[in-house]
Amino acid sequence: MKKVTIGIILLVMASLVLMTGCGSNATNNTTENSEPNAANDAKKPEDTEGSGKEKVVNVFTARHYDVDSLLYEEFTKQTGIKVNEIKGTAEELVERLKREGESSEADLFVTVDGGVLNYAKQNDVLQPIESETVKQNVPEQWRDKDNNWVGVATRARVIVYAKDRVKPEELSTYEDLATDKWKGKLLARSSTSLYNQSLVASFVELNGEQKTEEWAKGIVNNFARGPEGGDRDQAKAIAAKVGDVAIMNTYYVGQMLNSKDAEEVKVAENIGVFFPNQDTTGTHLNISGVGLTKHTKNKENAIKLIEFLTGKEGQTILTQGSFEFPVNQAAEKPELLTAWGEFKSQQIDYAKLGDHNKKATEILNKVGWK
Amino acid sequence: MNGFAWLRRLQRRSNTWMVISVIGALVALLPSLYILIGLFQKPNENWQHIQQFMLKDYALQSLWLVLGTGTLTVMIGVTLAWLVAAYEFPLRRLFSWAFVLPLAIPPYIAAYTYGSMLSYTGSVQVFMRNVLGWAPDQKYFDIMSMKGAIFVFTMFLFPYVYLITRSFFEKQSASFIENARLLGKNPLHIFFRVVLPLSQPAIMGGVSLVAFEVLNDFGVTKHFGIQSFTTAIFTTWFGMYDVDSAIRLAAWLMSVIIGVFLIERLLRKRKKYNASTSRTSPLSRRRLRGLPAWAACGFGAVIVSLSFLIPVLQLIVWAAWTYRDVLNAKFAELLVNTLSVSALSIVALMLHAVIAANVNRTGRSLFTLVLSKLISMGYSVPGAVLSIGVLAVFISFDEQLSGVYGWLGLGEGKLVLSMSLAMLIFAYVIRFLAVGYNAVEAGFEKTGNRYTEASRLLGFGMTRTFFKVDLPLIKGAVLTGCILTFMEIVKELPLTLLLRPFNFDTLATKAYQYASDEQIHQASVPSLFIIGVGMVSVFFYHWLGEKNSQ
Repeated sequence: MKKVTIGIILLVMASLVLMTGCGSNATNNTTENSEPNAANDAKKPEDTEGSGKEKVVNVFTARHYDVDSLLYEEFTKQTGIKVNEIKGTAEELVERLKREGESSEADLFVTVDGGVLNYAKQNDVLQPIESETVKQNVPEQWRDKDNNWVGVATRARVIVYAKDRVKPEELSTYEDLATDKWKGKLLARSSTSLYNQSLVASFVELNGEQKTEEWAKGIVNNFARGPEGGDRDQAKAIAAKVGDVAIMNTYYVGQMLNSKDAEEVKVAENIGVFFPNQDTTGTHLNISGVGLTKHTKNKENAIKLIEFLTGKEGQTILTQGSFEFPVNQAAEKPELLTAWGEFKSQQIDYAKLGDHNKKATEILNKVGWK
Repeated sequence: MNGFAWLRRLQRRSNTWMVISVIGALVALLPSLYILIGLFQKPNENWQHIQQFMLKDYALQSLWLVLGTGTLTVMIGVTLAWLVAAYEFPLRRLFSWAFVLPLAIPPYIAAYTYGSMLSYTGSVQVFMRNVLGWAPDQKYFDIMSMKGAIFVFTMFLFPYVYLITRSFFEKQSASFIENARLLGKNPLHIFFRVVLPLSQPAIMGGVSLVAFEVLNDFGVTKHFGIQSFTTAIFTTWFGMYDVDSAIRLAAWLMSVIIGVFLIERLLRKRKKYNASTSRTSPLSRRRLRGLPAWAACGFGAVIVSLSFLIPVLQLIVWAAWTYRDVLNAKFAELLVNTLSVSALSIVALMLHAVIAANVNRTGRSLFTLVLSKLISMGYSVPGAVLSIGVLAVFISFDEQLSGVYGWLGLGEGKLVLSMSLAMLIFAYVIRFLAVGYNAVEAGFEKTGNRYTEASRLLGFGMTRTFFKVDLPLIKGAVLTGCILTFMEIVKELPLTLLLRPFNFDTLATKAYQYASDEQIHQASVPSLFIIGVGMVSVFFYHWLGEKNSQ
């Protein structure tokens, strides 16, 4: 019988530990700016700081980069507002926001890709960001038309080529990559990548469904090998002479040039970056952005963070750390980005990418882009 | 102790175990049921497209993956288990636990590691190019393929089969095998005619875990560009933004898997082996000499190299390049988070597993059997989909409890449970219940019911019998379950990503942060920590095992 009792006691203890675990996690990090009440104050002593209300902003983010944490730390240093993060996959976080509804503790939603930002907007989990500073920081092109989200950085999805086998003059447009000229020479990653889905979605907007499907078919026909690996793997495959040209994001080139692996640096040095469609529709950009959640409880702090992220200082930290293009022209770009020079980008409503993403996915499935 | 009087009264009724088990199973089932309901909802306009372009091919690819990996893991896992359990050969003692180590490496990290290693800039090709001056065709290094995926899954999942079958061989099969040896059967005959049929439950237990892992993986298949059934689920969700259809696909996956394992179980039920003597002495090992001894040693060495040494060495090299940028004071916090959340989850999970297995063993009815299989459902769907189920359940808990929160002064309409660690722990429990349960069940199958029945006949109740008789007998199995679930939780990613509270990072989420952005060199540092933690637990497990056998 003794053992039974011990067992029961253990069980009770375990559940106690569990409960206190929950308790402490549930009570910190939350501040009610809108409705301070006695009950709320009563539980404050449990809070981490214990000194009145701790100023926080809660972020649901799908950007998992060290530079983001650096930015948040800098923001906390300057304003005393603590940034709490939950990191996840964009679509999952939207699902969580949706299900949490009014009770949600999230204040900001940060992610890569304009399509997803629009998806969040359509799911009614965002609200307009009302801030003149933000409007000044970010050109209209990078803002949602209802200001439900604003861009913080962009990446160009470009064509990279083998410097020794391809002359830049041979390259012109994305559309050209689908012609017979590149048969057996083209490389791209799988269509499960959001980057490719967004690229195709932008063509649906610019060229229409029919043409986009023909284009995707042409691309699949030209593949030097089945899509595999990430963007960096396409660059490596060029170096390995598996193919001559690849579709890839610019910032990976930046990262490879700065890699600790001498071989990766060598690969990056031997590929050229070409910004396509300069005479036509412009180069495709992928946008990272931030949205204000509909049920935010710390609106003021949240907007302050957006202002910081899009301000000169925040933008400089961001672009220096990630080799993404800043949205605020005042930011100091790293040398590499300056060296690439100015280029023409697609002039489209980024919200449209979200609308077309489904169509794009269907096209990719249909033409067998793995 | 008076406070426990009501509990004691409850105990006296023999079906208390049953009640607890049923309640536990039902709670654990809620998220899975939430997903299964998807089957009965009307398909939307995307379903046609999914059926036409994704379903068949993707399901076939998954089938090949499972069949390929399943066959190879059984071949490798059972062979190694048999060698270690039945023979003495050089380095056997080292191998006996080194074969468990691959479990410490998350398959997706292994996929990135092998992918990078064998790439054009990877160590293998660089060595050939720069040192040997030889540049072979890229196609020989194409690990990012179906074959490559089967290789990765096999190398990093075979320990499930190895571990469960080995413990079976060592503890239970001795009398059968020794009789066969006495009767003059040759080793091959013993292996195929006695050992394999006897160990079928253990092998099935192991290989079913492997199959679950393969089916719900998205890391390896995504990186290698393989279109598995999981790809279909995620393309539907992330590409077409159609959560309902994604859940529906997951529900199909879930019901097929449960169906298959239920059928296997029902077929197997007809064959039961109970030892005729009460003596369960450990199997005595025979010494191998000469060529066979070295062949066994060499085979072990190759497997350990491929599944552990080579990838870990590569990760160490990368970590040496990047640790300065990656390693900081926060790493201690990651470690503490990882360990504490695992410990809490394991306690909750093993309690659940032991109770359910005990009921299923003594209660023996179709109902308990189905129930016991249903609780494994959480392991059969991709974690990201399961996390929606968990989220739905917890948010509705919070809504129900809103009044209570108000009364406690937490404020009404707030999310308390779903913002706490409880949600993540709950998710781990339903996710990995199958792992703990399979281990415990194998333990029960091994001991049989004789002792329990004797104890019950002699007047002990079910509870007393359990603590006095059953638990000491299945101690090893429970420990195996703990170690396996620990390794799982330490590596777990999709649930941890979505269901954690604010600012709760673990080693796995840190590794993912880098790997998802193709920064495999940086990812090596947290990955090595995960592997380190896994290694320590294997050491510990082995040490306990040695101590017990002495």
